[in-house]
Amino acid sequence: MGTNTVLTVSLLTWFGLFAYLWHIDRKLKGPKGQ
Amino acid sequence: MGTILKTGLGLWMSLVLVGAFCYAPTAVGLRELSRIIYFHVPAAWVAVLAYGVAMVEGVYYLRRRDLRFDAKSSAAVELGTLFALLATITGALFARETWGVYWNWDPRQTTIVALFFIYLAYFSLRGTLADAHRRARLSAVYVVFAFSVVPFLVFILPRAYVTLHPSPLLNTGGRVDMNPQMLLVFLAALAGFTGIFAWMHNLRWRAEVLLGGDGDGD
Repeated sequence: MGTNTVLTVSLLTWFGLFAYLWHIDRKLKGPKGQ
Repeated sequence: MGTILKTGLGLWMSLVLVGAFCYAPTAVGLRELSRIIYFHVPAAWVAVLAYGVAMVEGVYYLRRRDLRFDAKSSAAVELGTLFALLATITGALFARETWGVYWNWDPRQTTIVALFFIYLAYFSLRGTLADAHRRARLSAVYVVFAFSVVPFLVFILPRAYVTLHPSPLLNTGGRVDMNPQMLLVFLAALAGFTGIFAWMHNLRWRAEVLLGGDGDGD
């Protein structure tokens, strides 16, 4: 596996985790915000 | 965490990943395998940090008897256990490629697993107690005692025995032996992982309080 492939997979994994955390953060704030 | 901080963390970690694979050179002898340092060491660092946070929040609970501190403490132990597991797995992968086996009871491998199991017992303890304040009190005492072994397991024992593990960044001579480009990415990765921990911890304890497992539930 080349370095570019590993980098792409790593970036996609990070973006996935980031989006998930952002989503949970919004849900925890509720409709009116915290 | 504010929107700017979260967005900044997103960009920061993206740059760390690009830096780890495209900017930092590889170490002599280890080649591409040396890039694991940007993930394995920060994971181990965050595990120790999380256990430290758990102890501090445990002490706060014992002083103030506010269940929010218990939620923060247990959230920190959960994350510490997760990152200790990540450090163990990435360490085993490194061991397989350099030493030929995933596991050889190296002092560093053994002590991180010992630490992992000490904190795993924390969840068994919490599971046996129904009353929230009793659970919080005993959990707080447990994390305070558990953290007292961390300096021995993480800093003293691995240095007291012969190990195959690469030297720590700050060696016994007090010098930093690392290529400046590698050091830059490494420190950036440490900061990034710390930021991820701070965000995850914040989300986890808030969720715990909202779910009513800990905290006032209001």
